[in-house]
Amino acid sequence: MSASLLVLIPLLPLIGFLINGIGFRRIPRGAVGIIGSLAALGSFAVSVVVLMAFKEAGSTPQVVSLFDWISVGELSIPFSFQIDQLSLLMLMIVTGVGSLIHVYSAGYMKEDEGFGKFFAFLNLFLFFMLLLVMGSNYVIMFIGWEGVGLCSYLLIGFWNKNTDYNNAARKAFIMNRIGDLGFLLGIFTIIGTFGSVEFTEVFRQATGLPVGDPVVVVITLLLFVGATGKSAQIPLFTWLPDAMAGPTPVSALIHAATMVTAGIYMVIRSNVLFTLAPATLEVVAIIGTATALLAASIGLLQNDIKKVLAYSTVSQLGYMFLALGVMAYSASMFHVITHAFFKALLFLGAGSVIHAMSGEQDIRFMGGLRKKLPITFITFLIGTIAIAGIPPFAGFFSKDEILAHAFEHNKVLWVLGLLGSIMTSFYMFRLLFLTFFGSFRGTHEQAHHLHESPTSMTLPLIVLAVFSALGGFMGVPEVLGGTHQLATFMSPLYEGARQVNPAAFAATTLSHSEEYLLMGISVVAALVAALAAYVVYVRRDSVPAPETQERPALQRVIYHKYYIDELYDAVFVKPIRTLSALLFSFGEFFIDLVVNGTGTLVKVLSGQLRRTQTGSTGYYIFAMVVGIVLILFWNLLLR
Amino acid sequence: MYPIVLLSVLGIVVLFLGFMKSKSVLLPATLLFLVLALASNFIDWNQGKVLYFYEMLAVNNLTLAFNAIVLVSAFMIVAMTRGFQDQEEAQPAEYYGIMLFSLVGAFMIIGYEHLIMLFVGIEILSVSMYILTGSDKSNLRSNEAALKYFLMGAFATGIMLFGIALLYGATGSFNLTDIQSYVSIQGRGVSYILYAGLLLLLIGMLFKVSAAPFHFWTPDVYDGAPTIFTTFMSTIVKTAGFAAIFRLLSHSFTPIYSFWWITLAAITVLTLLVGNIIAVYQNSFKRMLAYSSISHAGYLLIAVTSLSPQTENAILFYSLAYSIATISAFGVLMLVSKKKALEGQVDESYAAFNGLAAQNPLLAFVLAVSMLSLAGIPLTAGFWGKFFVFGSAVERGLVWMLVVAVLMSAVGIYYYFRAIIAAYLKEGDIGKIRIAPFYRIILVVATAMTILFGLAPGIFEKLL
Amino acid sequence: MLSDFGIILLFILAAIVLIMVVLGASRLLRPNRPNEEKLTTYESGEEPLGNANVQFNVRFYVVALVFVLFEVELIFLFPWAVVFGNVDLIEQTDGRWGWFALAEMLVFVGMLTLGLAYAWRKGYLDWVRPTPQVPHTPSPVPPALYEQLNEKYAPKVKVP
Repeated sequence: MSASLLVLIPLLPLIGFLINGIGFRRIPRGAVGIIGSLAALGSFAVSVVVLMAFKEAGSTPQVVSLFDWISVGELSIPFSFQIDQLSLLMLMIVTGVGSLIHVYSAGYMKEDEGFGKFFAFLNLFLFFMLLLVMGSNYVIMFIGWEGVGLCSYLLIGFWNKNTDYNNAARKAFIMNRIGDLGFLLGIFTIIGTFGSVEFTEVFRQATGLPVGDPVVVVITLLLFVGATGKSAQIPLFTWLPDAMAGPTPVSALIHAATMVTAGIYMVIRSNVLFTLAPATLEVVAIIGTATALLAASIGLLQNDIKKVLAYSTVSQLGYMFLALGVMAYSASMFHVITHAFFKALLFLGAGSVIHAMSGEQDIRFMGGLRKKLPITFITFLIGTIAIAGIPPFAGFFSKDEILAHAFEHNKVLWVLGLLGSIMTSFYMFRLLFLTFFGSFRGTHEQAHHLHESPTSMTLPLIVLAVFSALGGFMGVPEVLGGTHQLATFMSPLYEGARQVNPAAFAATTLSHSEEYLLMGISVVAALVAALAAYVVYVRRDSVPAPETQERPALQRVIYHKYYIDELYDAVFVKPIRTLSALLFSFGEFFIDLVVNGTGTLVKVLSGQLRRTQTGSTGYYIFAMVVGIVLILFWNLLLR
Repeated sequence: MYPIVLLSVLGIVVLFLGFMKSKSVLLPATLLFLVLALASNFIDWNQGKVLYFYEMLAVNNLTLAFNAIVLVSAFMIVAMTRGFQDQEEAQPAEYYGIMLFSLVGAFMIIGYEHLIMLFVGIEILSVSMYILTGSDKSNLRSNEAALKYFLMGAFATGIMLFGIALLYGATGSFNLTDIQSYVSIQGRGVSYILYAGLLLLLIGMLFKVSAAPFHFWTPDVYDGAPTIFTTFMSTIVKTAGFAAIFRLLSHSFTPIYSFWWITLAAITVLTLLVGNIIAVYQNSFKRMLAYSSISHAGYLLIAVTSLSPQTENAILFYSLAYSIATISAFGVLMLVSKKKALEGQVDESYAAFNGLAAQNPLLAFVLAVSMLSLAGIPLTAGFWGKFFVFGSAVERGLVWMLVVAVLMSAVGIYYYFRAIIAAYLKEGDIGKIRIAPFYRIILVVATAMTILFGLAPGIFEKLL
Repeated sequence: MLSDFGIILLFILAAIVLIMVVLGASRLLRPNRPNEEKLTTYESGEEPLGNANVQFNVRFYVVALVFVLFEVELIFLFPWAVVFGNVDLIEQTDGRWGWFALAEMLVFVGMLTLGLAYAWRKGYLDWVRPTPQVPHTPSPVPPALYEQLNEKYAPKVKVP
């Protein structure tokens, strides 16, 4: 395939960015949305063409070199794109879901004064994300990696009048930078070890190393630190819920479907290195599972519709890392794809709800919306079923595959994963029921204003709903009579990894009956959790307590209707709530302590060190003399 | 060699041009002279190593490249002076003359082959700086800064001269090549006098590039000096100073690397910590840039400490990226603070940038790009500067130093982004700032270079 | 034959003798009418005793700098004459050495002359104080009115 075609993929969004970015005060509003969306759609169309050409040409990966970029000493880094199964899959997700979200934004952001700026940033993000997934070496990947971080920063702080939003944006950026530190060090170590950053070259050399080589363990650990930052894993996950300050399409595109999966992309891309480092994989699996559980338990009690989805995203990302940790790379990618569909759908649906509610995000003031917003309701329902893992929707297949691999690897991980999936099902149905069922709990004004969103917003919802419903069929496991096209498609990627560790890629040892059993358990668990949510939030019509105690009416309702809930509460809800609150406060506290603590430490140190700058020349010279004496003393007498 | 002779003469010419009735000829004349010097600089290009002035000065492609960076920076800075029209007591002819003379000093320390040449060069450069720092005669802070700079500079010069004397005592020569052959024959068995001499000489030079713990003068002097000369100091003196340090260590003292690297590494880490951490607390943008210049000295010291084959390229690229970004940042600051001064109060804090983007999108963009470059965000020249520097550290295996550096660059984000936030996200009422056409061209060119070198750092390699 | 140190000793002795002769001759010739002013140490018209921390007229520095400059020139000219006035070298190079050395020194002296000319033209050598020009702005309000106003509204604070 020709290089010019490939270049078009990132170039189109860049052009869109330049047009909208430079002329955002002069271009009429109508044109802005069209230019931005066309840039994304064009890029999607080209990606499809490239995918077709790739399949036609026999699915052989190739590197298309554009120009010599940097050469320093013996290290030379070309600017080139690598087209293989992995980058193509990511291309499809990024441009496909990206295009839908662009179209959606054209409706959602219509009344915002920064409409042009918003599309410019969105296009710029797309450009960097495409660089990230198409680059044929770690340096281009890093450029994209930093670029998407920058765009995420700009978009989280998009409504910049609010100081909290700015702080959220800065928190996200700085936490990401901490992760980037690991990534950057990893890249340098790769340069030091292999003398190259080209994927093909590094992996070719890596296949010659023994399993458990300490250098590779260090490299992979460093890369994983980078991944925890970008993909919001423990301990660097708290930025993601805060990032919900940005406009909802941004949350859907950046903080659900694409950017946050960059860490997973990177690990799958480096699968040879990770396969060589079982110790790192253990860490990855443990951190992934812990994140999945912690985030899911926090999600149980959140009342902000976007916060619930944010914690759910963190939790789902945890699943993906769990899959990576047990070397189920394809399963992880599968989940990335299905998650992109249903989580983008859920976020856009939430956006539609918020749009209808005139900006209200608290689910305690919603309810009964299914009649007023039928399309949003149905699509949101599909998304919920998909994420809960109920067949035959997309989430079932990918999550089940991850759990099966976890079971094979370590039973404990499976149990924890299952627990997480029960919680997921519960909080998602809770969200669904509180939002769309029961009676409306908002103000009269809001009730009056309720309306279904315009077509430009519902159309992406419908498309994503279709994919969330049917997307799973690209990876139907053998046991259910499928061929798992996705795994077959991706399997050439692991050529190198299979070479160094054949055992990891052996066919499954699970018998069919075992697999049926596992599926059965997880489906039943999800259904039971959904049912529990139904009982609590629809049958009993209970609503989470308001934050302030100044709404006695609501409280009395709860108080009088359910004396039985007291018992229920004491046995089930309270412990879970306490645990959740504990985990929440502990997690947030501890992690914020470490992260913010570093910030505070720097500030305090700065305040103290600043005092050394007294302004008195005599003191300065004294300090210099002390320095000189120390240097001379140490060098000449002590050494 | 040619630019040294040329600028010495042309500096005098500029002084005498000052007697003409019209002062407006000075700026174009000075710019023309700088262009002439730049052109003459490349006469020696690709001639290999050439020695001049009885083997006191060496010229090769590396020194010529450093000269070119210095000249380009000087050109940009001079172009932004606008003939000192807005200062009543200004003596434009003297300022331009002194700037040209100081460049002569810079060329000397970039290409010295003889320690006396180093000393003379550093003195020419420093004395010029003392004068320029105090050029705002009616401003008490400017006077204070100049006096402080002079006192401490004299102290450091004394130390340095002592070091040179000890080196001469140990090796019997001022010539770098002779010292090199002495050191390589003796190896680690050289006398203590040489060690002491080397350390003292290094300390004197580290003072000039404001490495901790010899950095104390920097914030006060940068803050007190007129902004235009602060720009001059933070770019040209730093570039030339690092060229000199690198020349000394790489040329003469590689055989005893194991002796000096630990000291230099400790100073590097201290510089990084001090520069970045104190910068967090500053409210004045100008003072922040002073600390930022300390921290960039730290990054450059990483390259010097690692002394790998990559180092010379790394220092070269880093100085260029740093100089351009600093010039455009100070350029914007000068415009904004002048506007504020016209409205009644001098304001060089972050808050001065509030609301800049609304009515001055160009200035805000220039500021943002320069801040991103200084912070080392990819697709700007600053990122590749850091990348090359870190790369050379890895080659030497100084990973622990790298960890400190990368962490500190994360701290850097905090204070560089404050300026961007102020310009783009804060509300403020600045009003439209009028920019002279030439000034605008310089800002645009500097920004374009930052982005260009960020997109394709290979171009720089090709230019050499 | 005298050694080198012997010559220096002779110099010292000659200097002492010379000073004694000059001072003695002047003592014999001059009228002797001392007063307080005359008996103080001569310091270019400044008060010789007192706090060292006083402000000198800044012109002293300019003159001193120019003086030092030419002093340095003088000191430099002497070794130059000794080193470069090498008869052998001049003869060997057909006199070109002499011209070369002379040209070098002319460049040096020329530069100093340019500096002197610059300082002269700038007026740094003039001792006379410039007269400050008080800006005069024609105003319809007579100055007396301001005085009155100031008197009237002056804060009545007793100076302790």
